[in-house]
Formats: sequence, structure tokens, C-alpha cells
Amino acid sequence: MFDSFRTVTRQLVGGEDHRTSADSDDEIRTDGGVAESRRRTGSSGGVLKAVRDRFGEDFLESTPFWLPTFLLMSLFVYGSIGWNFLISLTDFEGFAQEPDYSNLDFEMYVQAVTSEAVQTAVVNTFALLVAFTVVCLAFGMVLAILVDRGIRFENTFRTIYLLPMSLSFVVTAQFWLWMYNPTNGIVNMFFGVFGLGPYDFIGNPNLVLAAVIFALVWQFSGYTMVVYLASLRAIPTEHYEAAQVDGASTVKMYWRVIVPQLKNATISASVVLMVFALKAFDFLYSLVGNFRPPNGSDILATKMVREAFQNQNWAYGSAIAVLLFALALAIIGPYLFHQYKHDNL
Amino acid sequence: MARVNLEGVTKRYGDVTAVDDMNLDIEHGEFITLVGPSGCGKSTTMETIAGLTKPTGGTVTIGDLDVTTLPPKDRGIAMVFQNIALFPHMDVYDNISFGLRLRNYSKEEIDRRVEDAADKVQLVGMLDRMPDEMSGGQRQRVAIARAIVREPDVFLMDEPLANLDAKLRVHMRTVLQRLHKEMDTTIIYVTHDQAEAMTMSDRIAVIDAGELQQIAPPLTCYNEPANLFVAGFIGSPSMNTLAGEVTDTGWVSQNGNIQIDFDPAELGLSPGDRPTMGVRPEDVYTSEKADTVTHPTQSLPATTDVLEPMGDEIFVYLLTDDIGAEKMALSEAEQENQLLMSVSPDSTIEEDQRVDVVLDRSKIHFFDAKSGEAIAHGIEDLAGVESASTAEAEGDD
Repeated sequence: MFDSFRTVTRQLVGGEDHRTSADSDDEIRTDGGVAESRRRTGSSGGVLKAVRDRFGEDFLESTPFWLPTFLLMSLFVYGSIGWNFLISLTDFEGFAQEPDYSNLDFEMYVQAVTSEAVQTAVVNTFALLVAFTVVCLAFGMVLAILVDRGIRFENTFRTIYLLPMSLSFVVTAQFWLWMYNPTNGIVNMFFGVFGLGPYDFIGNPNLVLAAVIFALVWQFSGYTMVVYLASLRAIPTEHYEAAQVDGASTVKMYWRVIVPQLKNATISASVVLMVFALKAFDFLYSLVGNFRPPNGSDILATKMVREAFQNQNWAYGSAIAVLLFALALAIIGPYLFHQYKHDNL
Repeated sequence: MARVNLEGVTKRYGDVTAVDDMNLDIEHGEFITLVGPSGCGKSTTMETIAGLTKPTGGTVTIGDLDVTTLPPKDRGIAMVFQNIALFPHMDVYDNISFGLRLRNYSKEEIDRRVEDAADKVQLVGMLDRMPDEMSGGQRQRVAIARAIVREPDVFLMDEPLANLDAKLRVHMRTVLQRLHKEMDTTIIYVTHDQAEAMTMSDRIAVIDAGELQQIAPPLTCYNEPANLFVAGFIGSPSMNTLAGEVTDTGWVSQNGNIQIDFDPAELGLSPGDRPTMGVRPEDVYTSEKADTVTHPTQSLPATTDVLEPMGDEIFVYLLTDDIGAEKMALSEAEQENQLLMSVSPDSTIEEDQRVDVVLDRSKIHFFDAKSGEAIAHGIEDLAGVESASTAEAEGDD
């Protein structure tokens, strides 16, 4: 990204990018000359040179492009994260007095880590994260493979599968709340056909998380399908034919030849899905319409918001937020590092 | 023994007929090439042999086995694809051994066969490379190794050299021919490149519009094309074809300037018939060279148009109309009376020059203008006709 900015500024500043590597030697000499003449006038030349050596020679010229965003992001995203971390070290609660920054300690973290409610929330968060992502990937892949095999009305199916994703969590939560209704919900009517149920999916702490995961899978497997479908379309038909001629059955062909080629799609889809899983707060909030999600489905996000905005335990909420942030970072970090190592960033 | 037999194979996609009543009888150990322009159905024909598409009608037999409904893996075939189709997530060893591993061969057997195959295509020492670390030629050799490692009865090759650069392609041709000699298997090879077809095959099957036009050894296709399509497709540059009319004493081109004397009755032609005359550029000579030709025609007047020096020969475009110096942009009618001649590079021939040419009578072809079917190849044995009356009396076709 920075590189592209550089190219743009270079073009704007003087079309310097036309030089070839052959005359770069000359340029270093020229630069040195300029720096030398500046050194006589003052120390600022030295600073400039140091900046240029560190960040590239068009660092200053490119500032108009990246500096505004850089400042806004620093203040509102990273600044807030920092401030949030600072608050988590205080004992700030309620609105009565301002946070007291004089006495910072990790008491809130100790309290959070030892709290059974937070531990349950962590377990639930992980369960939701893993189960939702895995099921979504598996289901999306199967759908993509079926759609890719040239079924009739392919485009219609694709739209139908993708449609739920365009709906808001608030809407889908309401849908599923009605459908899971133990007395007249369609899900229980379906189970009733086989003489099962009725189940109280939302009320039963053992079922609610699975029910929520199912609803989320319904909403997002269309997205996974589209990602996989794009990847499948990029595989030449000859790979299928070569595998068949080599003697692979349909299952083996997909398992050993096609699915391994979907690795990149899997990685990028799982990152997006995991982020959605961490954001499942909206869904749970909409399900009940308040800060207290159904028993058995409390995740870190809901717990954090409840502590902060309902109980006004600002410092405690902040500590939970930092834990959640660390969790998200642990997921995104390796991906970003992988991308960085492969020069995709 | 792996004979391959196609009987009445037809493949339709909706209203489009890709392959129409294809009959092929391929001997064991034969190197046969299916050749034709893009979309002529040659690849579809190969796919029906491979089992990748089911024919709409007809039967495919490999060896003594009717394989029409069998899946590809049970047909004893191996295939090499145009875009190489190596599995990008497997290294060379895994790619080559994929088919063997699926068939649960023992580890030692797989190792032995893979090394053997790698040796045949000069890939020794590259077995642990990934496909994206290899050049196009190396990848294509891996694809070939993947096919030969299975020791199939029949090799199917679908334009395997089309994605390689020209020099490599010529090299790979010799590699393939050597492999064919070593392995004594049937090879069915698809290409749109008539040069590949000419140089490698035992027999060529020329296909157009889903129909088999001619199946014959390369030189037969070249010297005795079964119809106008084969005549135009095999050989580069193409055969000259001129529309004309049969007279009492032979054949005359539309503009009347090219006359060839023979007795039409001997070819079953009668005056008024309008067969197309064909002659290859190398069978057209300037009249100075007429004495080197055993059976020259009479001198024909022409004007040189454009010269194309190729290094080893010069292609001369001849205009046979009486337009002489006032040459204009060629309209379609004029194109039809154009004649391409190939002369040796030391010739002093120039553009816009009057020149007399002769044709080699033994290399003149006649084709039915409507059906395109060949009527005659070579008319050196046909005497000229002195009197018009005899021909008139016999000609009733």
C-alpha cells in the first residue's frame, strides 16, 4: 500500500520513476551532494537525510496522501484502544467521578480471569468461533461444489444462498426467534413430524448456542460458497479430467485434487468468518432485545457490553474488551504475518 | 493388443452436432493424429475415446472391450492435456505417481516406475520440485511422464505442444516420436497444426465440421487429398484452387487464361462441368524451368504481384487476369484467379513483372466444385485431345 502511494507521489512530484537502475548510482551521488550543502546551513538537513534513509526518499513528498488517514486512524482507532487499555487498569465505574489514573494495576484482569462468568464466555466464544467457522466452511464448500457441477438454475441458487448475508443480524435474529419458538415455530413443527420435541431452543442453555450457530451458518454459508465457487472456477477442467483418467473416483478427485487447491480460499474465508463470529454480539443482542443474552450463549462481546453499559463497570468492561481484542489479534495476527511474508500486504 | 475402434460415434450438444458419425479404426502401435481447424470436433472425438464425454450414439472399442459406457479409469488409457494440468499442490513425484497411488501399487513398484518414466523424459533429479518452479517444457515432460508411468494401452494427447514456444515444440516432437518407438503403444494425438500432424503420424485423420474427411498416411493426404478441405488444410501454404469449366479439349479457368489440355471423358467429365482445379505452389514453375518438369502444361501468362521471400524459397503471388500494369486492390473475384508459386531463393523474379508459368501435370488435382470430392490426382497420363468431336460424342455425364 505504501509502495503504491510512493509511486503516485513520485509521479506527481516529478515523474522520477522513469529512471532506470543504471543511473541510480548517479542519484546517490547527487543526493549526497545536496545533503552536504545543507549540513552547512544547519542540522535540519541531517534529520531529513535520516528520515529519507529510514523511510525512503519520497517520504515527505508522500505525506499529503497518507498523513490525514494516519492521524485519524491513530486517534480514533489506536488512540481509543490505548485509552481503553488505560481505563482497564483503573477502577473506574459509574459516572460519579472521573477515572483515577494515579493508581494503575491489573486488578480488573485478575478479576476477569478468575470470574466464572468470563470463563464461560471465553469457552462460548471459542465454541461459537470454531464451530461456526468449520461448519460454515464445510457447508459452503459442499454447496459450491454442487453448484459448480453445473446444476440447473445455478444462478438462482447462488442468489438464494447469498441472500441471507445481505440481511441485517437484527432481521435474521427475529426470523430465527420466531422459527425456534417452542409452541408455534416452524422448526419445532418440523421436528414434530418425526414425533420429536418440542424443544425450547432459545430457553434451554444446552441448546441455545447450537441454535445460534445454526442460524449464523445459515446466514453466512452463502458467502463461503461464493468464495469457494470463485476459487473452483479458477481450476481448469483439465484437472478434473486428468484426475478421472488417472483413476480417481469423484470423491477422491475432490478430496485429493480439488479441495487442496482451495487452500487460499479457505484461509481468506475463515478470517472473515472468524471476525463475524466475534461480532455475533449483534445477533445475540437482537435475539432478546437487551444486554442479557439467553443463558448458555453469553460470549465475551455481550459480557463486555453488559458490564460496561448496563452495570457501568467501565474498567472491568474495558479489561474484558482488551481480552477480546487479544483474542482477535491472535486470530488475525498469523494471517497478516503469513500475508506479509508472501508479500501480499 | 490395443486397437481402438470408433463406430458411428456421434456427439450432439443440443442442436449442435460436434461429431457426426465418426468411424475410425486404429491399429495397435499406431501413431494417429486427429487434425482439423478449431471447433471441428477433434477434441470431442478424443474425449469420447477417453470417456470424458458420453457419445450420443455409436460405440467405442478399445482392444476387444466395448468401453462406450465405461468411466475413463477403466479404459486403460492415459492422457496428456493441452494446458498441461499438473496438480499445483503436488510435487513432481506425487504428480507422476498419482494414478499409481490411487491403484494401490506397492511403494517399491511406484518408485521403480516413476524413476523409469522420469528417465524416459529426462526429468531425473527434479522429482521433488513443485510445478510452479519448472519451465513450460519441463512441466510438459512431467505431464508425459504422468501418462507413461501408468503403462497404458493407449495414449491420448490433446494438443500437448500447443502451449510451448516454437523451438521447444520442435524438440518435443522428436521426444514424442522416440517415446512412441520405445514403448510400442497406440498414440492418438490431437492437433490443429498440420505440420505436427505431417511430421509425427503414421496416419492422419483430417476432421472438419465433425466429419471425418480423410484418414491416410501423411503423404497420401498431401499428394492425394480426398477433397477440397483436405487439399486446403494439409500443406503450408495451401494448395491453389481455381474455379473453371470443362471444355471439349480440357479445362479452362474462369478468366480463360489458364488452359489445361486433356480428354475430359477419361475423367468422366463432360464439357460444361465446372470442377475446381488444384495445384500446390511448388508444382508451379516459371516457363524457363519447364524442361525440368516431366509433364509440363503449356505456358500460361501471368503477372507477378507480391513476393514473400522466406529464405529457403520465395512465394510469388501471380495474377492470371489481363490487368497487367493497371493493378488494383484485389476484389474477391480477382483473388480467385490468383495463383501462388514457390521459386528458389536465387530467382531474379521481381514484382509487377510479366511471367509465363507452367504447371506440373502429374500434380494437378480436380475436385467437384459442389461436393468438394476429388475427381483426379495427376493428369500426366491423359493425352490432349486434338479434335473436339470425339469428346462431345462421349461426354454424357
